[in-house]
Amino acid sequence: MAKKECIAMLLAGGQGSRLGALTSNVAKPAVSFGGKFRIIDFALSNCANSDISTVGVLTQYRPYLLHSYIGTGGAWNLDEQGGGVSILPPYATQTGGAWYAGTADAVTQNLGYIEQNDPEYVLILSGDQLYRMDYRLMLENHIRHGADLTIAVMPVPWEEASRFGIITQDDDERILKFSEKPKQPDSNLASMGIYIFDAALLVEKLREDAIDQTSTHDFGNDIIPKLLAEGRRLYTYTFEGFWRDVGTISSYHETSMDLLGSEPAFDIFSSKFPIMSNASTRPPAYIGRNGNIDDCLVANGCQIFGTVRHSIISTDACVGERAVVEDSILLPGARVKDGAHVVRAILGENAMVEENVNLGSVDTTKDTAVVGNDVVVGKGE
Amino acid sequence: MPNVIGLITCNYSIKHPGVLCASRPAASLPYLGRYRLVDFPLSNMVNCGIRTIGMVMPFNYRSIIDHVGSGKEWSLDRKNGGLFFLPGSAFGTSRAGARFLLRDLIANKVYFERSSSDYVVFSAANFVYNFDMAQLIDTHCSSGADITVLARPSAGTDEDIVGLKIDGERVAGIYQGVSYGDTEFLDCFVVSRSLVLDMLDWYAANDYLDLFEAMSGDFGRVDVRPLFFEGYVRPVFNLKSYFAGNMDLLDPAVAAELFPEGREIKTKAHDTSPAKYEAGSRVGNSLVSAGCRIFGQVTDSVLGRNVIVESGATVRNSIVLQGCIIKSGARVENAIIDRNNLIPAGTEFRGTPEEVLVKEKGSN
Repeated sequence: MAKKECIAMLLAGGQGSRLGALTSNVAKPAVSFGGKFRIIDFALSNCANSDISTVGVLTQYRPYLLHSYIGTGGAWNLDEQGGGVSILPPYATQTGGAWYAGTADAVTQNLGYIEQNDPEYVLILSGDQLYRMDYRLMLENHIRHGADLTIAVMPVPWEEASRFGIITQDDDERILKFSEKPKQPDSNLASMGIYIFDAALLVEKLREDAIDQTSTHDFGNDIIPKLLAEGRRLYTYTFEGFWRDVGTISSYHETSMDLLGSEPAFDIFSSKFPIMSNASTRPPAYIGRNGNIDDCLVANGCQIFGTVRHSIISTDACVGERAVVEDSILLPGARVKDGAHVVRAILGENAMVEENVNLGSVDTTKDTAVVGNDVVVGKGE
Repeated sequence: MPNVIGLITCNYSIKHPGVLCASRPAASLPYLGRYRLVDFPLSNMVNCGIRTIGMVMPFNYRSIIDHVGSGKEWSLDRKNGGLFFLPGSAFGTSRAGARFLLRDLIANKVYFERSSSDYVVFSAANFVYNFDMAQLIDTHCSSGADITVLARPSAGTDEDIVGLKIDGERVAGIYQGVSYGDTEFLDCFVVSRSLVLDMLDWYAANDYLDLFEAMSGDFGRVDVRPLFFEGYVRPVFNLKSYFAGNMDLLDPAVAAELFPEGREIKTKAHDTSPAKYEAGSRVGNSLVSAGCRIFGQVTDSVLGRNVIVESGATVRNSIVLQGCIIKSGARVENAIIDRNNLIPAGTEFRGTPEEVLVKEKGSN
């Protein structure tokens, strides 16, 4: 196999437990977003748009939908000879097998995949983040600095800094200090969990980490602090643009709403750096005579007979006559029956709100209402 | 199901093509926002398990190849079988009406010879319906007929449709143009591969004729029987039926019949975002494709992908194809706007319900 410059290892095994009912039967990267996408579309599209055509996708938690959705990677132009997408679930060897025990461990268990592709650099990505990024620029930065490791960073509001891995750097973007979720942050530069490693060094360090009894086998907790302590060349790449890690229901709701408005914070319309998806072919959306849609995204296959305001209606979702949907997200195939009223809610895939049922509250101090995939909400529930 | 291959003719000319077909063959005519006419026969064949399909191409094949590509969306990008582009006569047939020109079939005899299939399903590309072709094949296998043609009772007069003369159980002849109560040929039939090869020999001297015309004296020898299809069918042979066919689908019941669960009409996939309805937009009784941005008013209309209707613009009882921009304050009514047109601010483009106005392909 020809030597490759850069391959990507895409971590997609997480449950995303804080997304609650939305991830009860699918992995977080497979959660629907923006009407017709799934969260993993963003990382896969970024790879394709950055000419990275060898992508290992590490899966573990409830992988069926994710596996069938990714398929051969053709939807992202990643069905290439001698590369393309490889799905990498945990596997057994002669000495047994084990689940992926941490981000670093997941990659360690697939060192064979990296060695087989023999790249110069390895890009480590999360499959559960929403952003558009040209990894080529980050790689150029990495090469220019002659770095051992480059971490993508972005400034975050100071009050949120203690939720992230926080980086202190010198004037030349060299990392001086890395603290995972510090209580008293001394910088607001947050790690985005996107790394470019020198491949040989990554292999060496993961081998060491694997036999380290004290390690939690996590990039942020173990690998990065160790490299810093060794005096390796760690640099940042500062990303400017929209980036979200939708960890919770409220951030999922908020990020979805960022797609709306006349000048959305997150513009998924641009065709320059297209977000690709493995969408099903459905007819155009039908808007009934009494349909009333205001500030919404509506995907193909939908049928809208009622009123929908400031909401996202995904593929094949349906809003009945006299029904009202406001500030809500209907995932693919969700149905709001005639006369129902849905406010500040997320309806999972193929979920249903029965006729004349009220769901959710305009009171923003209350939590966003969430109905899990395939769940039916009837009267009195 | 027995081993069946398909053949779709995309190169015949129709009598009243209109300006929509000035730059493209009828097979690649955009339909219902995101489809092309050829999606229907292709999907019908694929949905019943056919995985080898030949397409007889017209001289202006660019838009067809652009659309079907490797056949991926129809599961036709295969190691064995898959999609075959077959060369058709340079300019199709000069006489409208012939859909299965013998010359085209003879020129591509090798497609039939190399196959090991038992049967061949033939279809033209001008009828819109969703039909489980397994029924046609099953009926054919159990009846013992030589050819089984798909048919329906005619609901009106149409000079573009081929009529079938029915004698008892059998077809006794064909004629051009039908009227109410006649039997319409839906330009789709199944026949054994060996009989196809025989017929190509029998009728070689009359290769300028349509297969069924060449058979005219032979209906005694060749046992041709109809299978009646009772579902939704829309022949698209002229602007009027094109317009009416699109508008049919504003009825959700008709749409449900044409797009049933489990028998999807497949088409080329695009990375288009969901349609965006901005604050103040008004949309009623319309079909809106992905990628549209709507600020103004749209009623009783069908919008293709990536159409922009600016604020104060109105679109009524119209079909607007992919990539058009209806500028602020413009009025489009009773019209078909072909791809990539810009309707300038404050202008009107209006036909009447009886006489729909057509704007040919733009260069926006």
